[in-house]
Amino acid sequence: MADDTSIIGKARPRIDGPAKVTGAARYPSDEPAPGAVWAFLVTSAIARGKVKSFDLDEAKAVPGVLDILTHWNVGGDAKPPAPTSKGKPTTTLESDRIWHDGQIIAVVVAETYEAAREAANRVHVDYDEEKPSATFGSPGAQEEKREPGDHEDPKIGDPEKAFGAAPVKIDQRYETPTQHHNPMELFTTTCFWQGDKLTIYEPSQFVYGLKNNVAKQLGIDPAKVTVVSRFTGGAFGSKGGTTARTAWIAVAARRLKRPVKLVATRDQGFTIATYRAETRHRLRLGADANGRLTALIHEGWELTSRPSQYNVSGTESTARIYACPNVETAVNLVHADRNTPGFMRAPPDTPYMFPLESAMDELAYALKMDPVELRRLNDAPKDPINGLPWSSRSLMKCYDAAAERFGWKQRNPVPGAMRDGDWKIGWGCATAAYPSNIAPCGATVRLDGDKASIGLAGQDLGTGAYTVIAMTAAQALKLPVENVSVELGHTDLPAASLAAGSSHTASICHAVAAACDKVNAKRAQGETGVIEETAANVPNGLPDSAMDKINHGQMAISRGFGRKDCTAYAFGAHFIEVRVHGRTGEIRTPRMVSAFASGTIINPLTAYSQYMGGMIWGISAALFEKTEIDLRAARYTNDNLADYLIPVNADAPEIDVLLVPEEDNAVNPMGIKGIGEIGIVGVNAAVANAVFHATGRRIRRLPIRIEDMV
Amino acid sequence: MTESIRFILNGELREVSGLPPSMTLLQYLRERAHLTGTKEGCAEGDCGACTVAIGRLNNGKVDYQSINACIAFLPTLDGREVVTVEHLKSKTGQLNPVQDAMVKCHGSQCGFCTPGFVMALSTLMHNCKDAKDDDIQDAIAGNLCRCTGYRPILDAARLANKSKDRELPSDVNALEKIQRKKMFAYEAGGAKFFAPVTGEELVEVYAQYPNATMLAGGTDVGLWVTKFHMDLPVIIYTGNVEGLRSIRETAEGLEIGAAVSYTDAFEALAAYDGSMLDMFKRFASVHIRNAGTVGGNIANGSPIGDGPPPLIALNAKLVLRSKAGARTLNLEDFFLAYKKQDRKQGEIVEKIIVPKKPAGVQFRVYKISKRFDQDISAVCGAFAADIQNGKVVEARIAFGGMAGTPKRATHAENALKGQPWNEATLQKAVAALDKDYAPMTDMRASAKYRADVARNLLKRFFIETTEPDVETQVYRYAE
Ligand SMILES: Cc1cc2nc3c(=O)[nH]c(=O)nc-3n(C[C@H](O)[C@H](O)[C@H](O)COP(=O)(O)OP(=O)(O)OC[C@H]3O[C@@H](n4cnc5c(N)ncnc54)[C@H](O)[C@@H]3O)c2cc1C
Ligand code: FES
Ligand code: FES
Repeated sequence: MADDTSIIGKARPRIDGPAKVTGAARYPSDEPAPGAVWAFLVTSAIARGKVKSFDLDEAKAVPGVLDILTHWNVGGDAKPPAPTSKGKPTTTLESDRIWHDGQIIAVVVAETYEAAREAANRVHVDYDEEKPSATFGSPGAQEEKREPGDHEDPKIGDPEKAFGAAPVKIDQRYETPTQHHNPMELFTTTCFWQGDKLTIYEPSQFVYGLKNNVAKQLGIDPAKVTVVSRFTGGAFGSKGGTTARTAWIAVAARRLKRPVKLVATRDQGFTIATYRAETRHRLRLGADANGRLTALIHEGWELTSRPSQYNVSGTESTARIYACPNVETAVNLVHADRNTPGFMRAPPDTPYMFPLESAMDELAYALKMDPVELRRLNDAPKDPINGLPWSSRSLMKCYDAAAERFGWKQRNPVPGAMRDGDWKIGWGCATAAYPSNIAPCGATVRLDGDKASIGLAGQDLGTGAYTVIAMTAAQALKLPVENVSVELGHTDLPAASLAAGSSHTASICHAVAAACDKVNAKRAQGETGVIEETAANVPNGLPDSAMDKINHGQMAISRGFGRKDCTAYAFGAHFIEVRVHGRTGEIRTPRMVSAFASGTIINPLTAYSQYMGGMIWGISAALFEKTEIDLRAARYTNDNLADYLIPVNADAPEIDVLLVPEEDNAVNPMGIKGIGEIGIVGVNAAVANAVFHATGRRIRRLPIRIEDMV
Repeated sequence: MTESIRFILNGELREVSGLPPSMTLLQYLRERAHLTGTKEGCAEGDCGACTVAIGRLNNGKVDYQSINACIAFLPTLDGREVVTVEHLKSKTGQLNPVQDAMVKCHGSQCGFCTPGFVMALSTLMHNCKDAKDDDIQDAIAGNLCRCTGYRPILDAARLANKSKDRELPSDVNALEKIQRKKMFAYEAGGAKFFAPVTGEELVEVYAQYPNATMLAGGTDVGLWVTKFHMDLPVIIYTGNVEGLRSIRETAEGLEIGAAVSYTDAFEALAAYDGSMLDMFKRFASVHIRNAGTVGGNIANGSPIGDGPPPLIALNAKLVLRSKAGARTLNLEDFFLAYKKQDRKQGEIVEKIIVPKKPAGVQFRVYKISKRFDQDISAVCGAFAADIQNGKVVEARIAFGGMAGTPKRATHAENALKGQPWNEATLQKAVAALDKDYAPMTDMRASAKYRADVARNLLKRFFIETTEPDVETQVYRYAE
């Protein structure tokens, strides 16, 4: 597809770079809001029970305090935001009910940030406290089988029988921890009213979603709500859904008739938004003596809040990665007194591929086989669950490319055999896979002479959307990229869907291409002057009405699995070296090589950094990241960046990312598969596999700790 | 009478009054000056999104250092210059070399961390004409990026390092005009802030307000406000007290004023042993070390502070001063119990005296933390042993993270004293550590892990002092 004149496929620095390095890029909390007053949240100090009463006298006495919102005075002014899953949402100021620690129970508004903070600290709360359940195994936590509906439970053949008969078996339990996205930008919201029109500045992955949800919560016409999020300071899923805070800031602004600004603190971000829930797994693999899989049974348990049935059900992917004739999966929910979890980078695949890819490594050892060869032997020629062809599948090409670069041939498979002084060296590998999703999207293109401007309400979360849109338009309109300007993140622009699920580049580029086609058609008809065209792209397999759903802030998406024509996944392979210190147990990851095949790569530079960012997330998830929970209080204890360890520069290894060329004519017209999430998938297992190779210790509970090593 | 806070912001004089003394520079920049390029990611000094450069007049020129604006109280900037990301472009609108390289090397994704990295690196480039890779790594150790994985940022730094035009814009004259000869007193909304310039003024004002909060670098005190939401009605800032800001070599040893920053104390302390430098490089981040002081690290009484263990092992003395005069005590005696120190009303920490290291004394300090950089120690161990002809004449061992205070290991020291420095003695000393400490389990490490690490660190000290060729160092950054 890419030839010499092609813009698509050539590396290019992001067009929003200069704005970012000079401080000119405006994130929502940077938008000027003249006359704004400040909100500070009061959050619950208990995890379960009721607010008996508030003592607000001291808070009201702080000079500059303007208003204090509680369920007493605003309880009926907004409804809770619509949940992203079955079940019900937890509530905030609607009632006295407390569902989890750190729940918003009051909003203090004052002339200055300092006064709001001080007054919030002086709100005294009398609670009716009940004993909370923190997590799996806590007394009072309720387990249920996930209801069918949002997800399928893939099943083929007779897995129990096949597993029973298998000469080689793995039957193990695995655990992944609670994690928080911790984007560098905090959760902020600024609201102001002009008459009955509401404007919201809030970092978002889906401005149309936020607009429509908040309108519904407040009982107003969505046409009266504008949402602006030109730049988002990292999201990773955390800014996808509508959270409770927004409507209350809007209510506060309406009561005071002034703009109200909230910058929630880092620790509040742990409980007023979502997180990656802890999961548990039982995974059983059966294989014949040659290593061919005969049975795969994967059962998962996921934690959620009391009322919600949120779950990610990664079994939909783990069931179809390898060729296996007998597969069964199940997912269970465990309800505890916690905030409702939500999407976080590769939500299903990060936790669910850990058991599968660990077990594959265990199986390789049981069979005395090379783990790469085991994957080759079980490479699936078609989707094993429904028999559909893959849109394209380059898994083994990725393995071969990365293994070669890594030097895998030199590996001595015996655990503990490779050493460098006090350091035990381990090499491990694992598969990455992520479904290729695409959503309906609209776009406007305006051509004025040799300059074009593109507008759509999509988001650049750092993924490079501004740049790939400019490149797509430049290529279609035959203009230099410098002549194309792009506007995103504003609900006055045509709707785009939730920037998530690695679907955004595919979704927005197809819409931009469609709008450019219309412009080109007009040009071909000889039209001159300013040409402006708006178009929508609805992916194959979705009804035309799907665009309407996006316009109304709802979800509509064509997933990589569940299509009628094929199953579409991007694949990759990770290789990593770990070093475990013989005396201190310190674990280091000096180098990593991963290869990915994701169809058309519009901009190798932005792609490269998406992959790399994902890989580092994976290492971090394997070795550091865990939100600790005080089991008695059901409270997060490391809710800050000093104690919640995200990697610093020194932790990041030397990383090689290989882009395996892949042309995919089936996935979608432009052949785009998505790259934002696949980088993280499987890395946790690759690290654990490498640790096993270094030390002979198989760690099935993440993160791997120094204590596990000494 | 209150005076206004005077400082230079991006080349312009600002005179500020009426804002609370505990307002942070970050809040001021974003909400009052409408300079929103400086970001807030944590308000606790952990992420570096708020990094700005602070200029301070020094003998007719301006010294720049990067700091975290989120925990710097506005009045501490009186007499200083502040440079933010908005001020880096040239008059003709050209990006500075760091900005330019960040664009070219794809150093931003979401870009939220970018201004902080740009400021950290621009300050480095200004200070260091040819930055080594280690300097670059060090300069950004306090900046978190959740998107890029750091490599593109390092590439950008290396590229920027090749450029010649790398000075921050400075205006010596403007700064000279706002220096003070007498104590600066500021008041707003009933809260008071004093910045004395002499030792006399300091003890005098402290005697007048004995319940005032002493403020040095503010890397602890800043968090009391931003994180724990404490009210500080009276603050006394030591950062302008000349006598507290100097380092002197005397016959007794090294005298470090309480308000000397870790950055400034670095070199002098590193002379005791290279391991000191290694440890200090892992002490917080450049931005925190530029602000945080040796005195504050002692006065806060933290059981996990990295300063006290090596200083105790080196037999340092602490000088406290009040209006009534000065008294000197052994540093280890200052720490009475968890969060309790031997500091009487009206007394300030004036200086630390570190005796010269006698010939023959072997000294090492080791910091063990979960994450490599920018992480509080799980355990910090320091060892000083006078070894003559293969015999331990005298040993001093101190640990942080093993008890409610930084604490000496007297049982282990006694097991070493007078014994041959060999495996058998080592084993006895290692066993004796169990009598010295009963560590706790917390988020950073379990009690067992801490005890194991303490034993291993003593072994490491033995190996390093007996078999210098054995590789014991955790290598710093990926090659
Ligand atoms: C992100 C981050 C990372 C950190 N990492 C580390 C680390 O790795 N290792 C470590 O040890 N610490 C670390 N700290 C803690 C802190 O930086 C140090 O303890 C620092 O040395 C404190 O010095 P300061 O000047 O900032 O103290 P301040 O915050 O100004 O004061 C600290 C305490 O000392 C008192 N005080 C200050 N000066 C005097 C004086 N002259 N007389 C009497 N009392 C006085 C204050 O009242 C206060 O109680 C970190 C802090 C942050 C925010
Ligand atoms: S905002 Fe994070 S260090 Fe200042
Ligand atoms: S680019 Fe997003 S935090 Fe660094």
